[in-house]
Amino acid sequence: MRRDIDRRPWSFGDISIRLLILVLASLVLMALQVTGRLEPIQSAVALLTSPAQVGATGATESVTDAVDFLFELRNLRQRNAELEQVNSNLLVENFELREVQRENELMRQLLSFAQTRPGLDLRGAQIVAQVIGQESNNFLGYITLDLGQSHGIEVGYPVVTDQGLVGRISEVSDTTSKVLLISDPSSAVNAILQSSRLNGVLRGNPGGDLLMDYIKQGETLSEGEVVLTSGLGGRFPKGIPIGQVVEIRQRDIDVFQQAVVRPTVDLSRLELVMVVTNFDPLEDVPELLVPLVPESVPAENATNPLDGEVPLDGSTLGTPATGETTPGETIPNESTPVEGAAGEIEGEQ
Amino acid sequence: MNRGALYFMMFPLLAAACLFQATAAGRIKIYGVKPDLVLLLIVIGALVYGSRPGVVWAFFGGLGLDLFSGGPMGSSSLALMAAAMVAGFGHRTLSRFNMLVPLVAIAAGTLVYAGAYLSILAVLQYLDVTDHRLPWLSTVQSVVVPALVYNTTLMVLLVPLLNRIPESQDL
Repeated sequence: MRRDIDRRPWSFGDISIRLLILVLASLVLMALQVTGRLEPIQSAVALLTSPAQVGATGATESVTDAVDFLFELRNLRQRNAELEQVNSNLLVENFELREVQRENELMRQLLSFAQTRPGLDLRGAQIVAQVIGQESNNFLGYITLDLGQSHGIEVGYPVVTDQGLVGRISEVSDTTSKVLLISDPSSAVNAILQSSRLNGVLRGNPGGDLLMDYIKQGETLSEGEVVLTSGLGGRFPKGIPIGQVVEIRQRDIDVFQQAVVRPTVDLSRLELVMVVTNFDPLEDVPELLVPLVPESVPAENATNPLDGEVPLDGSTLGTPATGETTPGETIPNESTPVEGAAGEIEGEQ
Repeated sequence: MNRGALYFMMFPLLAAACLFQATAAGRIKIYGVKPDLVLLLIVIGALVYGSRPGVVWAFFGGLGLDLFSGGPMGSSSLALMAAAMVAGFGHRTLSRFNMLVPLVAIAAGTLVYAGAYLSILAVLQYLDVTDHRLPWLSTVQSVVVPALVYNTTLMVLLVPLLNRIPESQDL
């Protein structure tokens, strides 16, 4: 193949200026977004793009279902050749009905979840949101819902399914909202182990696993234990299932134990979720949860800032018995605060 | 397909890739990562047409990605522009008809894109502007390396198609 060697004189200045302008434009966009001035434009764009997302998501599901259907059909052929034709006809006939039935079952499960938790304000279809988009890159863990500010969704609202915790609303436009998943590395949820009643902080990992950290040394926990939200920190209601311990990481030289947790919700295949709209999440409490333990303190002397002396109902959130501490205020502690320990653990995000 | 067709199809292709990335790409995850289709398009564009149009496509492709992302607006643009600059070295400097050039370009592009994106998030977190904490080591192990393999494999499949596009003048 002949290579075209005719070209215009290459000008470095040309591309430099172009690059400079585009970099500046990117930085200006970042600044506008951070200061909140991009919100109306983002809302308008979201309004325009959300139908396309809904359509693409629907098409994807149809294709996936069709592929599943083909595999299922192949298996049926292998199992019973005589019934092949009958089965395929029935499957084709029921293809759409099965989709409706599946959605119906999911809605029933959601309704059952709502009925068994009368404390949460789950108002029927208004707060059942459809997942219309996923995070576009591999580094972060977000999903997009088809409900926004106009539907009463606000930043901080917890998002759940009938199987457990999904995340929390992190960004809201008029008609859509973004959910920070519990599997995102920036996410942190205060959690408790159901049987051993040990507290810890559950963080997302880039690989998709959840890691429960800051579990006190010397305490016994077991694989298979159920992990629930503890309510500490005030970002999530207490008692929502998160997952199950699949691996325990305990080393004597570490201050705390860790546990690898498998989420109960399949976060990669979310279709319908529920937004808890009557829960008032606290925003500024991380100082209450910062450990006041230097890293050099031996494990046996370490105190867990999330430990069980604090009642586990979300109302106290680690505040002293007087309850006079306001969010953001640091609680005096008998331990000597050590610089550098702060930041190792932070409250829920 | 001639050079003009791809050039003018780039924006629609990028829009479709962004939409795909935010909806269906999750269904074709391997080892927990999805392919970076927008990055693939940008690298192909930069290989065929050079860095100059490449950075423009990268800017708008990045904006499209950021629309569907929880990350800061403009961060993907900056990261993709860096990747386009790197991939642009494969245009003219080396013959992209050599099988290795597109593969090295996408591998380098993936690394530069990931490095730039993670750096931007780290800087913004350091400035206390956003709260996206990404541990570098585990992110590289769990995300960047599998994505590199995935993107390179896809590029292997796309090379025969890429070789049918004539090399263009610098635009």
